[in-house]
Amino acid sequence: MNLVRIPTPLRPYTEGKKEVEASGATVMAVLEDLSLRYPSVRSHLFNGNGGLRPYVNIFVNDLDIRGLAGEATVMTDGDRLMIVPSIAGGSDAEALRPVDHAALRTNQAVIIGLLLAAFVADAPALVAVVGALMLLGSVRGRPAFAAIYRLLRSMGRLRPELLQDNPEPHRFAQLLGGVVLSLGALAFALGAASLGWGLTAVVVALAGINLFAGVCVGCALYYWLARVHVPGFSKSPPPGSVPGRRPTI
Amino acid sequence: MTILLPAVHAREIDLHGESAYPEEGAGVLLGLIENGDLRRVRRTLPLPNRWEDETRTRRYRIDPLDLLDAEEKAEEDGLTILGIYHSHPDHPPRPSDFDLERALPFYTYVITEVRSGGAGESRAWRLAEDRGRFEEESLTVVPDQMEDR
Repeated sequence: MNLVRIPTPLRPYTEGKKEVEASGATVMAVLEDLSLRYPSVRSHLFNGNGGLRPYVNIFVNDLDIRGLAGEATVMTDGDRLMIVPSIAGGSDAEALRPVDHAALRTNQAVIIGLLLAAFVADAPALVAVVGALMLLGSVRGRPAFAAIYRLLRSMGRLRPELLQDNPEPHRFAQLLGGVVLSLGALAFALGAASLGWGLTAVVVALAGINLFAGVCVGCALYYWLARVHVPGFSKSPPPGSVPGRRPTI
Repeated sequence: MTILLPAVHAREIDLHGESAYPEEGAGVLLGLIENGDLRRVRRTLPLPNRWEDETRTRRYRIDPLDLLDAEEKAEEDGLTILGIYHSHPDHPPRPSDFDLERALPFYTYVITEVRSGGAGESRAWRLAEDRGRFEEESLTVVPDQMEDR
């Protein structure tokens, strides 16, 4: 016979008892016996597949069975079994993912550099190329100039800066930049060079604000659209951060 | 289903949520059950958030040994663990599917919204007997001068 310590929340199912008797050759057998003696406790110990629920922790004579043989741990007469829940929970939002902000900043710097070079060299075609690469990058879910970042990193010039963040708003911001540059390219093609350079300047300015001030206007726009439940915009900003600002942790 | 929370303890819960922000903060509610199912909180006990990785902004975990400790402390004082409180940083104070999956019966789960670092609304919930959903429990904050201690 073994004594089983019942945690407070399960005591209503064991007639209010703090300790009950049950027997079995293994931990699992003791828990099965317990469930036979007190049938209403079963659904709180086991899930539908007969496995232990994730919050159920079992200790045998004060030792966690995970350090022993798990549910197959052998029980001998007089061994004391403790059921101790671990409590877990959390808010609805899906967990954040690591986003490499060094890669994002490199991308912004390259975009700014190439667009300024396009203006200086009066090369609207370069604007079109940068815009196309940004669109392509957004579709592939990565920064347009990720290859340059990887090169600099492999040369030891840059180190990753992984922040817990949502990648989607950054992808959206780049998509937005790509769209504006494509409109600029269209303006050049239609002979409206001033409009073309104006749109290019908008992208340079927004990439600059992102690079130097850590504010991603496209991301903020994404979060605002998510807030008014626009389909396809589902993420909310990392806790503690203003929409569009770099996460602080 | 009613839980009475003296204002002093409501403030402790708010402060814990604020100091843990932007991570989730959690602890246990110790108290007594009176007249059948009236729960009165007598003490709060903040516990460390032992969720293993960086997603502590969205998750909390109370270690079984911490809980065992809390249960023993409660018993020394003639109290019982009435439930668990935790904060939802920048999220409404209602239980998530994740909360439901992990919930234990009997416990009152008090959830406090902490928006931009400041504690907001708190609401109380209890797992339904069929484990399929949470039922809201009435949460009454008792002003300090009305507390009979």
